[in-house]
Amino acid sequence: MSILQDIKNAVRSRSIHVSYVDVGSCNGCDIEVLACLAPRYDIEQYGIYVHNNPREADVLLVIGSVTPQWVDKLRDIWEKIPEPKVAVAIGNCPISGCVYARRGTLTTPPVENYIPIAAQVPGCPPRPTEILNAILSVAPLIYKDYEEKQP
Amino acid sequence: MRSIVYYVREFLRPEWLKKFFFAKTAPLVTPSYFKDYPSRTEKECTACLSCMMICPAPGAIAVLRKKDGWEPEVYPGHCIRCGLCVEACPEGVLASGRILDVTRRDKTAFSSWYRLQVDDTLCMRCGNCCVSCPVNRQVDPQLAGTGTSASDEVIMRIEGGRVTILHEEKCTGCKTCENNCPNRAIRVARMVEGVQGEEAEA
Ligand code: SF4
Ligand code: SF4
Ligand code: SF4
Ligand code: SF4
Repeated sequence: MSILQDIKNAVRSRSIHVSYVDVGSCNGCDIEVLACLAPRYDIEQYGIYVHNNPREADVLLVIGSVTPQWVDKLRDIWEKIPEPKVAVAIGNCPISGCVYARRGTLTTPPVENYIPIAAQVPGCPPRPTEILNAILSVAPLIYKDYEEKQP
Repeated sequence: MRSIVYYVREFLRPEWLKKFFFAKTAPLVTPSYFKDYPSRTEKECTACLSCMMICPAPGAIAVLRKKDGWEPEVYPGHCIRCGLCVEACPEGVLASGRILDVTRRDKTAFSSWYRLQVDDTLCMRCGNCCVSCPVNRQVDPQLAGTGTSASDEVIMRIEGGRVTILHEEKCTGCKTCENNCPNRAIRVARMVEGVQGEEAEA
């Protein structure tokens, strides 16, 4: 356990950069993600920062039940995020398709088929606290000792 | 000089350091009244399937056979936490947030029944529906092959050359009549209505 790694761990645990993408939801989950930015939750005290650019992100929140037009674009976005990275499925849509999972709908869930998902936050929509808890608990798992875990 | 000492002392106070480096607001808690995924109470499930029939989300709830009786199972990732199954269950098997308290206080409930409708332009008066209906057969074992019956207690019978529905409320929703109708003339629909007060208690 090198000191450098310790410093990296400490810094990374307070520097979680989040980007989000809506791949075809009803916008309910987007609004709950937006609510996380409110002073009520004050995400910056946990070191969470929000970006619109996936190249600056560590955590990608995927919202929505994946419409066919998003399939290749979602992969592109995922490729643009630098390592170490993690994707979190927000809401029922990316997990199961939620109420859109019916015959003849133009959605192709689950999102796991396209990019690796590290955590799922079920709910329609999930509460902001559930979203924050998921981000806060999944991020350290991925980033802690990241360099040492490399082969 | 004095002011520098003052500032250094101020910033080295443990409370200040704690405030600066750690999360400030209370931990993220879910309030007790939050309408979470329905959980099971101690009550016994009768497998009436009212919960599954009212659920708007595909694959969200299933009533499964367990060693001793039936048990509803809710699947997160499918369930949208609408709470309709909690309200619809006549036995109070499911609970979520304050729903049961509120329905008890306001005396509200869902009441459901089956509506039978025969399209007279498609119906050819064969009487298959009246004969095949298991409720009809129990009420009047002598129900004739033409669907006529001497009993007034049957759900429906052929009367004056057309299907007459007498006791819709006895229908169990089995849809045997629908399956036996050669013309898809008879349709069975499950209706749900919110009721309040005396009706809800019945
Ligand atoms: S809460 Fe709503 S969506 Fe969930 S199982 Fe019950 S009826 Fe279905
Ligand atoms: S949980 Fe309630 S509504 Fe569902 S099958 Fe059991 S008794 Fe019926
Ligand atoms: S649905 Fe079943 S019980 Fe109801 S009328 Fe048809 S056959 Fe009879
Ligand atoms: S089975 Fe169909 S066609 Fe025959 S009497 Fe009944 S509704 Fe009419």
